[in-house]
Amino acid sequence: MNISTDPWVWIASILSLAILSFLYKENPFFRAAEHIFLGVANGYLVTFYWHRILMPILFRPLFQQGDLLLIIPFIIGMLYLTRFIPRISWLVRIPIAIYMGYWTGVLIPATIQAKIIKQVQGTILTAPNFQSWNAGTMGIVWSVTVFIGVLCTLSYFYFSREHKGVIGVTSRVGIVFVMIGFGAAFGYTVMARISLLIGKLQYLLGDWLGIIR
Amino acid sequence: MKIYERLMTIDRRIIYAILLVVVTLPLVFPSVLKVTPMTPVEKLFTAVDNTPDDKALILDCSYAPQIKAEVEPMAIAVLRHAFKTRKKILVLSLYVEMIGLATRAINQVVEEFNSVAETYEDSLIYGRDYVFLGWQPPPIVPMLGMGESISNIYVVDYYGNQTDTLQIMQKVKNYNDISILVALSGSTIPISWVAYAQNRYGLRVGVGCTAVSGADFYTYYQTGQFTGLMVGMKGAAEYEELVEANHGVKGRRVASEAMLSLTYAHLIIMLFIVIGNIGFFLHRRRK
Repeated sequence: MNISTDPWVWIASILSLAILSFLYKENPFFRAAEHIFLGVANGYLVTFYWHRILMPILFRPLFQQGDLLLIIPFIIGMLYLTRFIPRISWLVRIPIAIYMGYWTGVLIPATIQAKIIKQVQGTILTAPNFQSWNAGTMGIVWSVTVFIGVLCTLSYFYFSREHKGVIGVTSRVGIVFVMIGFGAAFGYTVMARISLLIGKLQYLLGDWLGIIR
Repeated sequence: MKIYERLMTIDRRIIYAILLVVVTLPLVFPSVLKVTPMTPVEKLFTAVDNTPDDKALILDCSYAPQIKAEVEPMAIAVLRHAFKTRKKILVLSLYVEMIGLATRAINQVVEEFNSVAETYEDSLIYGRDYVFLGWQPPPIVPMLGMGESISNIYVVDYYGNQTDTLQIMQKVKNYNDISILVALSGSTIPISWVAYAQNRYGLRVGVGCTAVSGADFYTYYQTGQFTGLMVGMKGAAEYEELVEANHGVKGRRVASEAMLSLTYAHLIIMLFIVIGNIGFFLHRRRK
């Protein structure tokens, strides 16, 4: 056993235990650690944005180096603050409109390409898709499974007709695929949470108490 | 109290205590659990391994402290792999809170290699072998802008050096000089890399993600949008195994050490699920 002499390790470990104490029940140690976390995180973000964004990218070039073009984004950004002055609060719509317009233009084509067109292509029964599974002839089976799964799941979310007859059958198959998807997601979530617990125990038992190497 | 009522009302704190013991014991008394790398991880490894000498790779360390346990071992494994095979590597983070962790991972691996290096050529030199570009908000700016010029987006690196004066950046101008980008993240950042950088510039994207994201991300791997994929701590352990088996890189394998705990924890949770369901069905039958 080789207990750490680093005070920062002690602080991190004690705060970790305070947070973990919530598993037993709500208590003052947990609340104290929670508030410290919020305060530190906010303070860190604010100072970092000031020193690494606002000062080097906006204020210093604009006010010290005379890069006057930056006055435009500066004024647009300042318009956000008009929200607090009721008489001219409507001006806040200008930066919001610019922001929304920019993001709509950037996001829509990229999202359609990456999340719809390419994903639909992935469900089509073609030789490259069979090979993408690296499973030999089983690649065809997996591709067909995906193809059926996509069609059946989509039919489950088709609400314009009553789920009877063919749609009734496909939607029932679709719900099986949906449940398998939920099961996979749940299994992965369990793995993720246990991994985080293991990581924290490795820190407490290793870095702090020195029980494990 | 009937047996099924007891099964249905086990105090959650008892479950936590059992889980704690099950996870802790394999850490204190470790034994080896062989990890078999799966195809998605092997593909990522191969893509990094095949990076030509005239190209570099980008490592996006966009993981925050809350997912450090899962993703940091991936960062360390990829860095060891890149440094061992003398790939040029550009590291960046897309969000501010991740910078400290990225710096930590780089420093750890550089120290590992430089502590055994015998000559200047063997050593890892900042600016020659690797660079930490730091953080440039918002994320879409570097994603799109690096397709034109990396030095224009990251005028200075994290330490304040002019990037266009660094030796490594003389031959790495934009995505044309990048073999693959490895995005390590717990959010949808890898999909953004695909949407912006891959669609527009054809950049290959490999991914290391948390297990929570795994089910969502496999569809992007299946379509070929992700070149390779590491999912969760197990993915990290598989990459560690590949790096050690193929390149003989020795070093602490944090993810591999955790595999036994992870396995036992999964078994005990499966047992709890079975017990809970038995209790539920017995209860329903009595009704």
